[in-house]
Amino acid sequence: MKQTPLYNRHVALGARMVDYAGWNMPVQYAGIKEEILAVRRETGLFDVSHMGEIRVSGQGAGAFLDWLLSRRVTGKKDDQITYAILSAADGGTVDDLLVYTMGAEDYLLVVNAANKDKDLVHIRQSLLAYKDVFKDRQAEITILDESDLYGQIAVQGPGSLDCMLQVARELGLSREEEVQLAELKRFRQMRLTLEGQDRDLIISRTGYTGENGYELYIPAAKTAYYWDLFIQAGVEPCGLGARDTLRLEAGMPLYGHEMSEDINALEGGMGFFVDLDHEFQGQVMKDRVRRRQLALVSDTKVIPRDGYEVYVQDKMVGVITSGTFSPVLEKGIAFALVDLDTPEVDEVQVLVRKNLQPFTVVKPPFVGK
Amino acid sequence: MEGLKFAKTHEWVKVEDGIATIGLTDFAQKELGDIVFAEPEPAGTEVELEDMIGTVESVKAASDLFAPVSGVIVEANEAIEDDPEQINQAPWDAWFVKIKMANPAELDDLLDQAAYDAFCEEEGA
Repeated sequence: MKQTPLYNRHVALGARMVDYAGWNMPVQYAGIKEEILAVRRETGLFDVSHMGEIRVSGQGAGAFLDWLLSRRVTGKKDDQITYAILSAADGGTVDDLLVYTMGAEDYLLVVNAANKDKDLVHIRQSLLAYKDVFKDRQAEITILDESDLYGQIAVQGPGSLDCMLQVARELGLSREEEVQLAELKRFRQMRLTLEGQDRDLIISRTGYTGENGYELYIPAAKTAYYWDLFIQAGVEPCGLGARDTLRLEAGMPLYGHEMSEDINALEGGMGFFVDLDHEFQGQVMKDRVRRRQLALVSDTKVIPRDGYEVYVQDKMVGVITSGTFSPVLEKGIAFALVDLDTPEVDEVQVLVRKNLQPFTVVKPPFVGK
Repeated sequence: MEGLKFAKTHEWVKVEDGIATIGLTDFAQKELGDIVFAEPEPAGTEVELEDMIGTVESVKAASDLFAPVSGVIVEANEAIEDDPEQINQAPWDAWFVKIKMANPAELDDLLDQAAYDAFCEEEGA
């Protein structure tokens, strides 16, 4: 099993470690509920170093990524970050990712740990297909796996900016950079050159919790130093268990659940992140929409789980793709994937251990807004 | 925990006057984490060995409890439905069901504390 640069920190903090996508990761420290509430009320700290980083650069890289992804990455501000879907030629989903603009024709793709290797293969094969289709276009493009060069931590919660500013000096920020950080907009990034390191420190205002927050991409050898700064500042360490519930409460999808090679982005509720007006590889997905997403909240105390069957008027219409107990709502919450022709209803039933239980159809997010 | 017996499916059993009181072990509640839902099978249910006698769910996972002895459920602890956190706080007090045993000899197949601890160590490590 692979270890992040923070493995020893997790063990010292008494985390329960599990195998996640081949990585030995903390699933919880103090307890999932406590960690979730820390992020909703104050600030939590996550090790997300397992995420993959793929560098795509060179002449024509921007135009290639426009064709590769569900949204354009060109024509954006220099510091802008784009969330997009990596789809296959048949419209199925290969991965979801963030694209950081690093410079002219220079992009960093942040991908799911479990998908990184297959993403690399897909992107390289797609480049060959791209060159074949667009023979007249320049495509001197390099695709590099930079995952081992970076550690990554996320600081999330309503107190996250205060925490960031509290340790700004130790982070190496100048006065002007502190102001820049305080004014950093959502889905924007700033980069800091670190002495003796060939990769910059990237700070972005992004996250996977629905709260305000920041993600730091750190040259691997320096990751533990930055982690310790936040722990010393009293930020609560949080594991993958809390992260998964927080993202579902916030109505965010998870690869392998809301989308997969079999579930395209439009079916999985990600239409907002698919620009059908631009030409891209997986565009055919628009003709292959057979299902749609519902967001559900339990009317009773039952907890929906992945794979449970969903019924409308005694007819099975689909299955739960992610389900959990929301400590904030104190109710069960879930995403379901149902047949496209499922009637518009306010209530559905979910089969929980042999009994049909009532659920209300809601508009995500489940928590916040 | 003097005199308790244990099943490999992580139930503890306390026997008094032919009645077996059954709950979830400390090891199991720790493995599950924050418990947010608990539901014992109702009183009056007849159970065979290894039939389901209750359900417990944490934020992350659902798990069933199985009958370590056969018989009839004579009492179900409804207090744990309203306050499932009891199972984390005091697993030895937060019992699920009481079973009037049909065949007390089945107790001989359960583990004692030392054997159960060894079993958990093997499973949990």
